[in-house]
Amino acid sequence: MNRIVPLAAVALGILAFATVLLVIAPAAQIRPLEGTPGLQPYTQQELRGREVYVEQGCVYCHSQQPRGPEQAPDAQRGWGRAAVASDYVYDRPHQLGTMRTGPDLLNVGARLPSRDWHLTHLYQPRAIFDWSIMPAYPYLFEVKPEAEPGDVVVALPKDDAPDQGVVVATQDAEDLVAYLLALDRTMPAGEDSVRDYGYESREPRE
Amino acid sequence: MKQNERRIVEGGDSPQQRKAGDGAKRAILALAGGAGLFVLGSIAFDLGILGDDGSHPTNSSERESDMAAAYFSPPAETSIPDGPDGDAIRRGMALFVNTKTNAADFVGNELSCASCHLDKGREPNSAPMWAAYVIYPKYRSKNKQINTMEDRLRGCFTYSMNGQDSPSGGPPPAGHPIYKDLQMYFHWLASGAPVGESLPGQGYPELEKTALGYDPQRGAQVYEQNCAACHGSNGQGQRDLNGKLVFPPLWGPNSYNWGAGMARVNTAASFIKANMPMGQGGTLTDQEAWDAAAFIDSQERPRDPRQTGSVADNAAANHGQDTYYGKIVEGRLLGTGTGR
Amino acid sequence: MTRPEEPSRPGENFEPYEEMRQIPIGVIMFAVALALWGGVLLYQSSYAVAVGRADETVLSPQSEQGLGLTGAKLFEANCTTCHQPGGEGVEFAIPPLDKSPFLAGGPEIAASILLRGIDGPIRVGDETFDGHMPSFASALDNAEIARLATYLQARFAGRKQAISGERVAALRREIADAGPFAGGQEIAARFDSSLSPQPEVKPLAGGMGISSGILELVNQGRGEVWSCSSCHGDRGQGADTVPRLAGLPADYIAKQLLDYTEGRRRNENMELVARSLSETEREGLGRYYASMRAASTARPSLGGNLERGRELVLSGDWSIGVPSCTSCHGPSAFGVTPGFPGLAAQHPSYTASQLAAWVSGERDNSRQKMMNVIANALNDRDRAAVADYLATLPPVPAPATTADEVKR
Repeated sequence: MNRIVPLAAVALGILAFATVLLVIAPAAQIRPLEGTPGLQPYTQQELRGREVYVEQGCVYCHSQQPRGPEQAPDAQRGWGRAAVASDYVYDRPHQLGTMRTGPDLLNVGARLPSRDWHLTHLYQPRAIFDWSIMPAYPYLFEVKPEAEPGDVVVALPKDDAPDQGVVVATQDAEDLVAYLLALDRTMPAGEDSVRDYGYESREPRE
Repeated sequence: MKQNERRIVEGGDSPQQRKAGDGAKRAILALAGGAGLFVLGSIAFDLGILGDDGSHPTNSSERESDMAAAYFSPPAETSIPDGPDGDAIRRGMALFVNTKTNAADFVGNELSCASCHLDKGREPNSAPMWAAYVIYPKYRSKNKQINTMEDRLRGCFTYSMNGQDSPSGGPPPAGHPIYKDLQMYFHWLASGAPVGESLPGQGYPELEKTALGYDPQRGAQVYEQNCAACHGSNGQGQRDLNGKLVFPPLWGPNSYNWGAGMARVNTAASFIKANMPMGQGGTLTDQEAWDAAAFIDSQERPRDPRQTGSVADNAAANHGQDTYYGKIVEGRLLGTGTGR
Repeated sequence: MTRPEEPSRPGENFEPYEEMRQIPIGVIMFAVALALWGGVLLYQSSYAVAVGRADETVLSPQSEQGLGLTGAKLFEANCTTCHQPGGEGVEFAIPPLDKSPFLAGGPEIAASILLRGIDGPIRVGDETFDGHMPSFASALDNAEIARLATYLQARFAGRKQAISGERVAALRREIADAGPFAGGQEIAARFDSSLSPQPEVKPLAGGMGISSGILELVNQGRGEVWSCSSCHGDRGQGADTVPRLAGLPADYIAKQLLDYTEGRRRNENMELVARSLSETEREGLGRYYASMRAASTARPSLGGNLERGRELVLSGDWSIGVPSCTSCHGPSAFGVTPGFPGLAAQHPSYTASQLAAWVSGERDNSRQKMMNVIANALNDRDRAAVADYLATLPPVPAPATTADEVKR
């Protein structure tokens, strides 16, 4: 350890270099971005729904980052165009996710625009898809003998409906669905959008 | 002592022993060697030794090159020239696809040229016009004379387009601009094709007779399964919401008359085998193609314009094998016409 | 035991270290080669970024129809499938534009017709046409309609009078909720009485003869199933992978609903809904959506090549055995009742997903496997191109139901 100064200098230099490339440069690239043209900020209800999304750990199974055709066939799966940085300006923190046990959700509001569908699906996914491995969230709902005015009743096939009474969405369920319906980045990405196209040539291969 | 230890650990030459200029040499060697390695690597990669660059030829491009090798390819529509020639070619093309409108006075049914000459007369094996253009003028046994392209076209208007029921009562008169425009279109389609040669893909490829022969009753089943979805169970075709004909009628007053080539079972069978159902040419068996043709051509259609006396006389004079003209099917004499 | 003398052995406290030792030349060569490789990849990647950017600009709405297309190009792209390249129309079906008196009366008439469409009989020259023209309001922007109307004037009526994009914008606001012109009669009454006499327009049916049960299914749903409109929109316009239903043939819709229950078409959401419907309801829903005119909400979104899409839709690609879409789905892809649905203004994600479903066999309800064969012949890029091009077309001009038809 007789050359502590040069060693420290090189180590700090590497750290500084990495910080510039991995933190400062991307921030400089992304900070000035405005939202993708047509993207609306979340409403209060949608933000509450986002809290529910985080609390329930949706991110452990669902990503929010459709990939381009050079990386994954997400467009063919119907998950929408590749996400760009400006799609996330209102997401703090973003819910990109790393696991795809379930489908990507960044455009779920566009491809499944029905509030009623989402309520049924959250109450019991297997009411719709008998092969679904998504957990059911019955505790986001209440079973009441009769619906009161203003209640949102969940449509359920007879096999999945309780023997008596009706299933009514709680405020949490309604908020969560409002958030899911707000997940719609199907608008064009805009010409100055920031996106990593990777190194793979996108020249058509014939 | 210390000196001694150091030498052992180093193991290499001492710095003092290095010659001057060694560094520069090494640098040049390293750069050249690196570049060489890179080039070698690229070559190996290109040859596929190092793996796969991911460029698989797609199915479609393979097929495309096969087809291009086998058949003459007419020029692209975008290459129609400007000027009077180009205008005539465009008029000819419009006549070809929208015959009823653009030759209203001379067309007595709802067909257009492109009903049977698919892809605007470009598709091989559906009697493409680039192949027809280069074999005329020639002798035709149908009228026992030398036919120019105009003569041939007059035949089309007389029989396939059923000119007798048109407002003018016949085909366009000799020298009519319709003939000129159509020929300009064909001439352009045949740009670069060898004159006088029978090109691959010409006409409809002749279909061998089957051991069973053909039978309209079997054909009715084939028709219902394979043709009716588009041409309708009643054979009258289908229209879109504006009344524009999308699928042509196959019999009845709005189809080709008894004098047309397509009214002969062998011609229809050859066309069907090679081209129908649309986009699935060649999928019907030979037997199915013959039977479907027999079913379609044993339906009543406009009368033969050559008929002067009785149907039987005309059958003897102008009709040979492989036609239901003048025959009795299900108790009805065929060939009497549909009337309008 | 004494060890033999080892003079070269270092002392115990010695800490080994290394001084200058040359890196083998081979390693340097390898590093240089890697650096070159990296440089080349970076260069290629910069090219890929340019391609990607270019791809994405195709997606932006400004460039989808090619901003700045001339009137002639707009005419070719939007009018010729029906009115023909020479403007001669089609006998008994499509009125000619050439020398049409409707074009001679100033560009505002043409612009208004383009914005609203026509539904009902119209007399042009000596002939009467009882047809349906789509509204281009949702397919073309104001400047495009202005250029197109000006071009039509100049070419077919020989008038040099131009109309501005601002004037078209004003017209658009004026007639926003007007719906299609009721035949030539309304056009003559509004603009130019010299166009009269125009044929009588049959009275329209109120309420389209749709029962309240069907309307409830559409708007509220029922106990165990969701409403149609919750996914397909209140005008049947659809979105993204949810198809547009407005203007599809009634029998086609009813057949799809039946096919969901019988496994010829797969989609769990629709299977659940379709299982709860009776035959009468399936037919009623079909009739409800078949007579609906809704503005197009579809935009190209898959980055498909619109030129290639146009080629496949209008001419096909016979070298890969694909006939044109229009040869079966009608000259303007408005559909042919009952078997061939309209494709115009359908959402590209839906069209592409269906083409993929024909390939995978997830959808298998086409007669004679027509669509399976065609979809198989197309590659991914072709499917995106077709889907995107179809989204640029004006929506199906669903015929308004007349009082006679309701009785029937």
